[in-house]
Amino acid sequence: MMTPRTVGLGIAIIAAATSFSVLFLPAMTAPTQPSEIFRARTNIENEGRVLYIRNGCIGCHTQYIRPSDWAFEPLRVSQAGDYIADSPHLLGSERTGPDLSQEGGLHPDDWQAAHFHDPRFVRPASIMPDFEFFSDDQLRELIAYVQSLGGTMADARVARQNYWKPALIAAYARGQDANAEFLYAHVPPQWATLPNPYPADANALAQGEFVYEQECINCHGPVGDGNGVAAPYLNPKPFDFTVLKRQPWSGGLLYYQIMNGITGSAMPYFKEDLESAKIWDVSNYIATQFIGTAPTLPKVPIPYQGAIPASREPKGNKQ
Amino acid sequence: MKIIDSSPGSTSRRFILSGAIWFLAATAVGLLAATELVAPEIVKQKNLIFPRIRPIHVNTNVFGFLSMLLVGAVIYAVCRLCQAELWSERLGNWTMWLWNLAVVTGMISLSMGYTQSHEYAEYDWAIDVMIVVALLLLTYNLLQTLKRRKEQLLYVTNWYVVGALAATLVVYVIGNVMWKPANGALAGMTDAEWAWFYAHNIFGTWITPLSLGLCYFWIPRETDTPLYSHLLSMIGFWPYFAFYLQVGTHHLIEAPAPAWLKLIAEINSVALLIPVFAFLTNQWMTLRGNWWKIPDNIVLKFLFAGTVFYFLTSTEGSLLALPSVERITHFTDWVVGHSHLGLLGFSGFIACGAGYGALREMHGRIWSERLAHLQYWLMLVGIIGFTLVLDDAGSIQGHAWRNGEVVYRVLPELMQDYILRAILGCFIVTGAAIQVYNFYKTTCPQISPADERDARQSAEVAS
Repeated sequence: MMTPRTVGLGIAIIAAATSFSVLFLPAMTAPTQPSEIFRARTNIENEGRVLYIRNGCIGCHTQYIRPSDWAFEPLRVSQAGDYIADSPHLLGSERTGPDLSQEGGLHPDDWQAAHFHDPRFVRPASIMPDFEFFSDDQLRELIAYVQSLGGTMADARVARQNYWKPALIAAYARGQDANAEFLYAHVPPQWATLPNPYPADANALAQGEFVYEQECINCHGPVGDGNGVAAPYLNPKPFDFTVLKRQPWSGGLLYYQIMNGITGSAMPYFKEDLESAKIWDVSNYIATQFIGTAPTLPKVPIPYQGAIPASREPKGNKQ
Repeated sequence: MKIIDSSPGSTSRRFILSGAIWFLAATAVGLLAATELVAPEIVKQKNLIFPRIRPIHVNTNVFGFLSMLLVGAVIYAVCRLCQAELWSERLGNWTMWLWNLAVVTGMISLSMGYTQSHEYAEYDWAIDVMIVVALLLLTYNLLQTLKRRKEQLLYVTNWYVVGALAATLVVYVIGNVMWKPANGALAGMTDAEWAWFYAHNIFGTWITPLSLGLCYFWIPRETDTPLYSHLLSMIGFWPYFAFYLQVGTHHLIEAPAPAWLKLIAEINSVALLIPVFAFLTNQWMTLRGNWWKIPDNIVLKFLFAGTVFYFLTSTEGSLLALPSVERITHFTDWVVGHSHLGLLGFSGFIACGAGYGALREMHGRIWSERLAHLQYWLMLVGIIGFTLVLDDAGSIQGHAWRNGEVVYRVLPELMQDYILRAILGCFIVTGAAIQVYNFYKTTCPQISPADERDARQSAEVAS
């Protein structure tokens, strides 16, 4: 017989039984061991995490990589041990923006600062709101948190960014031509001397223009001189392609830098974002639009100094 | 207007009016959010940026619009089924004000960035306390009313009301981790499992049972037909709660949660189809032979559409919980479309219909049936369009990611859907505005356009 008492009691029993099976049992058996990439956050990173929560970043950004995800770099499927210090959890349910579980160290701090000021400065098609209202301290805290995402794997990437940044700043300070030579010397010779294998025909240039506008324009500028809207935030400044009118260069050189990025500078790698053909197209576009002359190679070969992203890294950088 | 009105029916009426106002507020916020996704720099004020107003839109809809409108309609239904007045209108009025205070405080505090970050549980601890107190007061009031009922047989609507209150009190306190006022959270994956237990069950034990109970009340009442089967309502009731409370982890199918927990969630998600179809069969068989009454009866029209959306959202929900489907739809706008289909299409339509039904019986007529029908069509176009464009966007996202594209590259491909979503949002906001106006005018002691028409016609006949 259904009375308020039987219904209330019955539902209460169901709620108690299911709470045991789907809440308390998993809580009691939850893994407490940290994963191999786990590390405790510092105070400033925890402050940044509070800002991340308060500003609702979880509404668009997830923090876990699934077994079925791919096209992630680095691709590491998240484990329960990654999250043991997270309270509240920030796994997220909506991926309008990229997953951030391995965001730390993918970009240097100056890229992050430009991005928070106006995400479209470095990502022209982004629909993320501006966070201009952050104070300098808040910006530092949030960047510190973002750079910690990924645990010890992020630390290794951050260390690599920090290792290369002073060298890149110094090269830029020596002048545009010295800077170009420095960058050239760090591209493997087989790439630095490789001509673009594809002709710069109308189709290639149209596609290259599309890619340039989607990805490159706000740093390197509409005329390729490195004076995009993001430039004031970045150190070293974005590269001025017109310098290559009087410097050695090749299609392969451009391809290599776009593909791999320049660790320590705001130049990210595009190996996940762009297919090979699109990178060759945008190389052709940059060459025709901003350099304008046939590729030249140095009369005396420049000695190879090791690729920036891949070698001469500080200790503990292996993922 | 008296702040505490102890006249019969005032609690129900005021809950319904509050719900209608929150419907307008919450959808207006939603429209702003949809616009910001298309034009991210349109608002520079930090309190109104997308990530801060998204939880305002969600929580105001759940706790303002749906909760208050459904509670108002439920109070009316319970009183009729008990053949008694509400035990204490004064207590009911206090509950109504407390509930409104919680929703206002929630809106302001979320816009200032005070959030607990769990979806649907973003409200801070103080607001959680207000809502639990309001729930307790409501429970006490309704139980006292039930105790004094003149009709001894407990009709199925009342089962759902009592069940919803009992389960929601448990789910709300546990799910918000209310014994930890600082951040309302546990740690690690356990926190995620508890949070999704709460997030799914705030619908499963609160919004949905109240909506189902109102269907059981209004569909037989408006069609003048006895309920098709009381056995089916039993089959629809107990398994519903037994299965629903266990499905939360289907939000974490590819997260590092225990495999057995995911399996429980998946099995129960599919098993939920049993009570869903028991309910739907019962309602639609009650409507058999009465289909012709639907187009002209605004209450039946809203409620019938609600049951159709219930069919759609429930079957879709069971499918989305399957790992092979989830791999494409998870993290995408498809899930956003699913929640709109459930909360606006199913519960929203039933709440609006039941609100119109209660007000029509309280005041003899609705101020303007025509406006109510216009609202119905605006909301119908809005929600069907929403589902289509968000499913399209979700499908693009899911397949592009499966094809190895990065999130950023897919964004420009979603713009046509996001623009359409904002346009469709205008339909829903307009519908909500009509409802506020129509509800308000209905409760005012004034001559309605229909009255005027009748008076004019009888004057013409007389002359």
